[in-house]
Amino acid sequence: MTHCPGCGDSLGPGFVQEFWTGADRNFLCWCPGCGLMCTVVIGTRLVSSEPEH
Amino acid sequence: MLSQERNERLTAVGPGTPMGNLLRRYWWPVATHDMAGRVPVRRRLLGEDLVLFRDASGRLGLLAEQCPHRRASLALGCTERDGLRCGYHGWLFDTGGQCLEQPGEPADSTFADRIRATSYPVAELGGLIFAYLGPAPAPLLPRYDLFVWPDVWRDIAHAELPCNFVQIMENSVDPYHVEWLHGRYGSFLKELAGEPPLPVVTKKHVKVAFEVFEHGILKRRLLEGQTEQDEDWKTGHPLVFPAMLRVGGGGIATFQIRVPVDDTHTWHVWYQTYRFDQPAPPQAAIPVYPVPLHDARGEWLRDYVDGQDICAWVTQGAIADRSREHLGRSDLGVIMLRKLYFEQMERVEAGQDPICVFRDQAANGCIDLPMEREKFGGAEAFRDIWLHESSIRYSPIRDQVVSQFGDQPRAGAA
Repeated sequence: MTHCPGCGDSLGPGFVQEFWTGADRNFLCWCPGCGLMCTVVIGTRLVSSEPEH
Repeated sequence: MLSQERNERLTAVGPGTPMGNLLRRYWWPVATHDMAGRVPVRRRLLGEDLVLFRDASGRLGLLAEQCPHRRASLALGCTERDGLRCGYHGWLFDTGGQCLEQPGEPADSTFADRIRATSYPVAELGGLIFAYLGPAPAPLLPRYDLFVWPDVWRDIAHAELPCNFVQIMENSVDPYHVEWLHGRYGSFLKELAGEPPLPVVTKKHVKVAFEVFEHGILKRRLLEGQTEQDEDWKTGHPLVFPAMLRVGGGGIATFQIRVPVDDTHTWHVWYQTYRFDQPAPPQAAIPVYPVPLHDARGEWLRDYVDGQDICAWVTQGAIADRSREHLGRSDLGVIMLRKLYFEQMERVEAGQDPICVFRDQAANGCIDLPMEREKFGGAEAFRDIWLHESSIRYSPIRDQVVSQFGDQPRAGAA
């Protein structure tokens, strides 16, 4: 994680901390530029379903 | 994992570093009351070498250690009516750092007028001497409740630990360590010594919670058998930003103050207050005592709660290498604290005051902090453990405190 997922600014002076939840790799991010705090989850796989239509 | 770059940003406390700039917005204990006398003493704070003294007029002074003249240590100085005289060539400095005399210079010289030693404001409160190393104007010295309560007994323990202060602070937002470090490991050591396990600290944590509030981070825990009406959950107790833990119960209320000496050393101060049910005679002076770190074989002392904590902190390394750690869900308090440090560093860099900087005199009469009375579900059981299994076991007044509480002394307790 080098850039804010919200505003795209560099996270250089910001905070990026990895932690794990089971098999999921998480990055808690805080951007001093836009103030966004979020957790980015790197899942082991993408699960999707198509709603009925 | 935290990147090495961010780990350095989090832990470097010297002048000009982001964390050093943040920490310089606060007053720090630099000595206990008994250390400041006519004989100057060397102290180190935030990576700066200092000399603390009380001149013959009773004024406290804190100067950079090296004399501005030829850089000899001002610890080799004489305290006089108006300050500190360097032992090398006799230059005299007042408590504000102004050079008053240069005996070897011509009598009509104005050279002294242009010479100042680096000096810092100092103030006494509650038996501690605080220093402010930051930019002017200095904020108010916070009058936290334990420092100013009029009707309690106090004692102060201290030790210098060979590790960075942040890993010690992280321990204060890591409630799970209690049931493992003190509960399981501590009981294992008790088992090896042929003693029964500690009953209170072995309780399982059902859930924990953290919230940032005006004084830092409020920590709550729910132990097995408790409900959300128990004080451990309903009230909790705080990490006081940037470097104190408030903890206690059962008439004991304490601060654990983690003073950054430099990047790899922390002066740990255990500041205790005791409030008894009945009035106790006033103390003539607050007792101060050192906490030993090693046993006779040179091993880290770890047969009591604070010793186990110290052992965990220092074995993480002089500066814990967070680029090699593996945090999980149970470490969210630690993550919250790190994020709070980063956020407050940004505030300072933006020219703002960080949290817990006080400039309103009206709000600084007595700063009350929340804390459980019935800690771990029982005041008396907690008090028994705290008086015998914490650094209080080294207090010269421990037995008097036990007696004043009306508790039974433990068999064989020193």
